Amino acid sequence: MRNRRDIVAAVPVTVPYARRSGHGAAWFLARALALLLEGSGLDKRAIDGLCAASFTLAPDTAVAFTQHVGLSPRLLEWLPVGGACGVVALRRAARAVAAGEAEVVACLAGDTANATSFRDLIAQFSRFSREAVHPYGAGGPNASFALITAAYMHATGATREDFGRLCVAQRANARANPLALLRDELTLDAYLAARPIAEPLHLYDCVMPCAGADGFLVMSRARAARLGLSGVRLLGAIERYNAFPDDPVPLTGGWAIDQAALWRQAGLGPEAIDVLQTYDDYPVMSLIQLEDLGICGKGEGPAFIRRHDLTLAGDRPHNTGGGQLSAGQAGAAGGFLGLVEAMRQLLGTAGARQVATARHALVSGFGMINYDRGLCSAACVLAAP
Amino acid sequence: MSGPEGMRDAAAAGRFALQRCTACGRAQYPPREVCAACLSDRLAWQVAEALPGVLLARTVLHHSHEERFRPRLPLGIGLVRLAAGPVVLCFAPVPRTIGDAVQVRAALDETGTPVLTAR
Repeated sequence: MRNRRDIVAAVPVTVPYARRSGHGAAWFLARALALLLEGSGLDKRAIDGLCAASFTLAPDTAVAFTQHVGLSPRLLEWLPVGGACGVVALRRAARAVAAGEAEVVACLAGDTANATSFRDLIAQFSRFSREAVHPYGAGGPNASFALITAAYMHATGATREDFGRLCVAQRANARANPLALLRDELTLDAYLAARPIAEPLHLYDCVMPCAGADGFLVMSRARAARLGLSGVRLLGAIERYNAFPDDPVPLTGGWAIDQAALWRQAGLGPEAIDVLQTYDDYPVMSLIQLEDLGICGKGEGPAFIRRHDLTLAGDRPHNTGGGQLSAGQAGAAGGFLGLVEAMRQLLGTAGARQVATARHALVSGFGMINYDRGLCSAACVLAAP
Repeated sequence: MSGPEGMRDAAAAGRFALQRCTACGRAQYPPREVCAACLSDRLAWQVAEALPGVLLARTVLHHSHEERFRPRLPLGIGLVRLAAGPVVLCFAPVPRTIGDAVQVRAALDETGTPVLTAR
């Protein structure tokens, strides 16, 4: 049994996002796998573990994908946890490598997008949403997050300007990210003047669905060194499902249960974090994650946004590649986006958006609105090599 | 009956059938196969003309992924905590403030699906 601290994540890759694609999800996942092999110099036969996530691979799963691309792994994790899939993939891959159950694990997430894929996805998303959300014309995440945002604003005094500051800062970060789909300047005035989608949500509060894939490799530090790769170290990771089921409106996520364990595992505290990557399917969720992970106090998300500069040059760089709000949401790859961005920052390969001081990163994930709330929450702390 | 079909007969008569566990007494929504609290499958329908609750949040949809709703936009949707316990997503046509008392009623929509409305 290896110590989990001797496990690294290396070779962050991205199959460039596109608004629409004629390729299937298997193409995107396979391209990510090919990029991992190119980036590591490994032969495909060396991959003996696979963690994968996708919505549009259906009816296939990671099982069918092994035959599609000719992999014969001895560890296989299919992760239907939506935006938590990146952290969960890393956590489980690291555990498997530490236990000697796999040597090199490929972690992949990706989806395609076409005129009907998003509608088809939300029509069959879950039993509860089919029975208790769809009949109200409220299928898809916009309505659920509009209600959560309205309740959060009522509870904390958050304003549209607060959410706007977060979105504007992320767009400024995206302008230094050639992989982001939305790179035009966004001003606070333009944010506030955007058309309403589901009040209080307006256009720039909503991610743009797109096609794309992200991936990375997990292996022992010794194995990475033999390959001449540097990898980021996993200091701690948590996951939690259906947290606080009795809260009438989900203004607290599973991170609040496990954040003490996360910081204890990591051996450091929130003040040591140089780069923050939260799951920004809607800005309210980023604020809730910052609160529940102890970056600020509960209910202090709006004050945090007003007090800190979240841009690359700021005192609290956050979603440094632009987040999903600017990069696009490539289905399950949205759950990998913050993780591969954190890896690039810690490996010093973030190019024009490199944060000079990046030594420790916090990455959080969130996923799967089943009825009225997302059921999956996860987070990890990473360290530079 | 444990699915929405249990709500349908009552909704056809303009009544709201809320699922309740006969073992532990807990009400739940959306309807389930078992009680989420005690896992009993002895579930019954508590039928009422209307159920009282409190508005937790309201949104106005200006966009819907479903074509049949587009002529009805903008569309008010609410989250209501019933006095019986569960939280329901429902139509909320009347602008209201969070915390307001409302009554939730059920009916069948044009597709024969039971839907809830708070006023």
